[in-house]
Amino acid sequence: MIFRAVEDADLIRQAARGSVEAFNLLVSRWDKRVYNYLLRITRNREDALDLTQDVFLKAYQNLRKLEDVGRFSPWLYRIAHNEAYSMFRKRRPEADVAELEPEATENGITVGGSPVFPMELGLAVASALERLSPDQREAVVLKIYQGFKFEEMSEILGCPVSTVKSRLYTALELLKAELAPIKTRGVS
Amino acid sequence: MSCSPFDLRDYFLKELPDPEGRQVEAHVRACQPCREELERLRLTENALFSLRDEEIPQRIAFVSDKIFEPSPARRWWNAFWGSGARLGFAAAAILAIAIVVRPVGRVAYLPGPPAQPPATVVQTISDAEIQSRVDAAVTKAVAQVEARQTEQTKQLVADLEDTRKRLLLAAAEYDFSQKRSGTLRASAFSMPAEPEGAVR
Repeated sequence: MIFRAVEDADLIRQAARGSVEAFNLLVSRWDKRVYNYLLRITRNREDALDLTQDVFLKAYQNLRKLEDVGRFSPWLYRIAHNEAYSMFRKRRPEADVAELEPEATENGITVGGSPVFPMELGLAVASALERLSPDQREAVVLKIYQGFKFEEMSEILGCPVSTVKSRLYTALELLKAELAPIKTRGVS
Repeated sequence: MSCSPFDLRDYFLKELPDPEGRQVEAHVRACQPCREELERLRLTENALFSLRDEEIPQRIAFVSDKIFEPSPARRWWNAFWGSGARLGFAAAAILAIAIVVRPVGRVAYLPGPPAQPPATVVQTISDAEIQSRVDAAVTKAVAQVEARQTEQTKQLVADLEDTRKRLLLAAAEYDFSQKRSGTLRASAFSMPAEPEGAVR
C-alpha cells in the first residue's frame, strides 16, 4: 500500500507538470472507485459516468493546486461530491441543499427501467439505502464502500467530524434494523 | 445503549486507537449484549457488501493535443505563479531588493538641502539678473576662448621662431661647409711654387 501511494504521488507530480500519460494512468487507478461512489449517490449510470468524466477533467485542470499529494483521494472525492451536488442543484434549483434528493427509483439503481441488483439481498440493501437521506447515504458510501476515515470524510463533505459521525451512525441504525434480521435469516 | 467503555461503532469502523480498541475487545469478551450488538453491525456490513462495485461502462482517458498544450515556458510560468511557496519566495526576494536598493538611492540626496520646486526658483529671479548672469557667462566664455586663442598664437609664434632659428643655423652651416670645400678645391688646383733651377 505504501509503495502504491508513492507511485500515485509520482504520477500526480508528473501530471501536474503536464504529463497526460501520467494522468491517464492515475485515472485508470481511480475511475472505477469514483464511478461507483457517484453511482451510489446519484443512482443513475449515465449521470455517474458523465460526472466521473467531469471529475477527472476538473482534477486535471486543478492538479497544480493540490499542495499535499498525500491527500489526493479526499481531494478527488471532494470534487466528485461537489460535481454531484452541483448537478442536483441544477435539476432542482429551488430545493434546499439539505433536502436534495436524487431521482427516486422503486428498485434502487436502474437504467432504462432494469434493476441493477437482481438478487433478493441486493434488492433489500438497495431498498434500505433508498430510505436513507442523501447525506446519510453518502456517509455510508464513503465509509463502508470507499473506506475513508472520519477526518477524510469531513474534508470531502465539508462538514465537521461530529456531523459525519452523526449522519453515519443514524444511517447504520436504520440499516441494521432492516438488514441484520434478513442476513440472520440466511437470505443471500 | 452499549455499556462498552468506548463507542462500539467507532471500534467496529476501525476509528479507535489501539489501546482503546483493546479495551473494547476485552469488554466484548465479557459482555453478551455488546457482543450481540457487534455481531449485528457485522451482519449489516456484510449485507451492504453484497452490493458489488460495478465496472465502469466506458474507460476514461485524456488525449494529449499539442495545440492546446501550453509551451514549456508557459507551463513553467503557470507552475511558478501557481505555487504559493514560490510566489512567497518571489515576494520576499522583491522586498529584499527594495530594502537594499532604497537606502542606496537615498544616500545621494541626503547631504544636500531639500530641493526647491523649480517654479519657485523661476519666480524669484528677475529678468535683469538673468540678463546679467547671461552676460557674465558669455563674457567668461569669450574670455576663455580668447585666452585659449592667445595661448595658441603664442605657441605658434614660438614654434615659428624656433623653426626660423633652426633654418638660420642650417644656412650658416651650409655656407660654412661651402666655403670650406671651395678653399680645398682652390688649394688642390694651385701647384706649389717650384724652386728656381730645378731640373724637370
